Amino acid sequence: MTWSPSQWPTPLRLDVKAARKDFPILKREMSGGRPLVYLDNSATTQKPQQVIDAMSTYYRTSNSNVHRSAHTLAEEATLGFEESREKIRNWFGATESRVVFTSGTTEAINLAAHSWAKVNLSEGDVVVLTEMEHHADIVPWQMLASEKGVELRWVPFDLETFELDMGAYEVAVQGASLVGAVHTSNVLGVRNPVELMVELAHQAGAKILIDAAQAAPHDRIGFDSLGADFLALSAHKMGGPTGIGILLIQEDAFQQMQPFMGGGDMIREVHFDYSTYQENEHRFEAGTPRIAEAIGWGAAIDWLAKWDMESVHEHGLELARFTADSLRSIPGMRVFGRQAERDGAVVSFLHDTMHANDLAAMLDAQGFAVRTGHHCAQPLLRRFDIAATNRASFWLYNTREEASAFVEATRDICQRFS
Amino acid sequence: MSIGVGSGPGDWPEALSTIIEDFSEAFDANERYEMLFELAEQVDELPLDEWTEASKVHGCQSEAHIMVGLNENGGFHLRGAADSKIVQGLIAITTVALEGLSIAQVVAFSPLFVEEMGIASALSPSRANGFLNMFKKVQVEAASLEGPDG
Ligand SMILES: Cc1ncc(COP(=O)(O)O)c(C=O)c1O
Repeated sequence: MTWSPSQWPTPLRLDVKAARKDFPILKREMSGGRPLVYLDNSATTQKPQQVIDAMSTYYRTSNSNVHRSAHTLAEEATLGFEESREKIRNWFGATESRVVFTSGTTEAINLAAHSWAKVNLSEGDVVVLTEMEHHADIVPWQMLASEKGVELRWVPFDLETFELDMGAYEVAVQGASLVGAVHTSNVLGVRNPVELMVELAHQAGAKILIDAAQAAPHDRIGFDSLGADFLALSAHKMGGPTGIGILLIQEDAFQQMQPFMGGGDMIREVHFDYSTYQENEHRFEAGTPRIAEAIGWGAAIDWLAKWDMESVHEHGLELARFTADSLRSIPGMRVFGRQAERDGAVVSFLHDTMHANDLAAMLDAQGFAVRTGHHCAQPLLRRFDIAATNRASFWLYNTREEASAFVEATRDICQRFS
Repeated sequence: MSIGVGSGPGDWPEALSTIIEDFSEAFDANERYEMLFELAEQVDELPLDEWTEASKVHGCQSEAHIMVGLNENGGFHLRGAADSKIVQGLIAITTVALEGLSIAQVVAFSPLFVEEMGIASALSPSRANGFLNMFKKVQVEAASLEGPDG
């Protein structure tokens, strides 16, 4: 089936044109004067002017270190930094939980591994992971396994429906201490049944960490009501700057954690022979934090709050569905994913004779930016017996015309070169 | 038309000169990719069962393999293959450039033709880098064909 932009199933509920205006990079011309069509949003989204301005204003007017000095700039910096933390806490529905700043999802998961798992788990304890995990939610646990003798159990997914085997999950969590699960797969776009996974993990007495890196751009995560013990995500996949993310932590898990990085900001008192640590989130934020980044992320949340997130989600999914359906009609094209109701706006695909790198290079020559490679999920791709895919991923500024042009360019390249 | 041996700009073998010209006159990157796809078909293809760790070109995003040898006249002959057609097209350019030269000429062949083709600006800097890597490997291995007496 091929859809044309005039035959789309629902009218636009999001003012995409207005949203686009806020992103200066989208005006960039690529080689041959072609417009940029940015379809690599799962890797990182573009940043609205408001985020760029907030960071630049901070550096131009208030730059200072936080929590340290009694002068005007220091107070402004501290206020801006902590206000951002509160914005983020509210946005993710974590008012009863802890918000620890990290460098991103990867550092957040590593923080949970070092400060919670390493302290609370010992030989023979079990960590359950899904076969859909990003390397960020695999490697830290493998390190823990080899250091502490912790056992890793893997929950498979169905290669045709792309759904997690919840029967296997239910068995795997028995006797487990921790589950690590990706909320929305960055390769398949599949949104896992995280609510049920939390429930089953808790019934079995296990804690659960959710990797929500790909949920943040299109889903409002109610952390407190979801009830997960840990949740990791990055600012840069939701319009915010690179270099900052969070680990959300429920209070009782927070109380079981020990800092693994020592230094300034995280201490209460330091003596020659011992130190005491802060009791709040700062306990896990040693050193000068990412002040401008936190402020930029706060601005991203203010910007996102202008849009109805449900419409943002639907818009992305609609583009993904159109793209997936259209790509499936190209001879030799395989599409990985199901684009179901709550899934992410991600379409992974692979042509059976056209090398993924070649397709991407030729798309790039026409101004289309797509991701190519293993997407930091080699075990997942190995399940399909492949080493790479191409991936188009959408966000709120992508248009139906862009999706349509992308499909036609792909069809044309495949026809001419395969 | 030059009938050179590749000592530097202005001294390219005729077949290479043609490629350099076509490449720099191409309308856009798309057309260049099309050329590379066509060139890829002309490589004396190294069959999959001869892809080994030794033949592998490292630092390439995709699998690329080369094998140096001599043709029936005792001139240099390169076989190669890659899973990416674009990369195989780049191997083809090397094949065309070096075919039939003496080992000494291959070893002394100037990599400046890569610049002259404008691979870095027309395709990408990482492609140009990958290409130079591969070219260097060809030269190093060609040198070893000479044997201990040179
Ligand atoms: C599902 C998932 N987890 C983790 C990460 C890692 O995020 P970061 O590189 O921002 O730490 C990503 C980013 O690609 C992701 O998509």
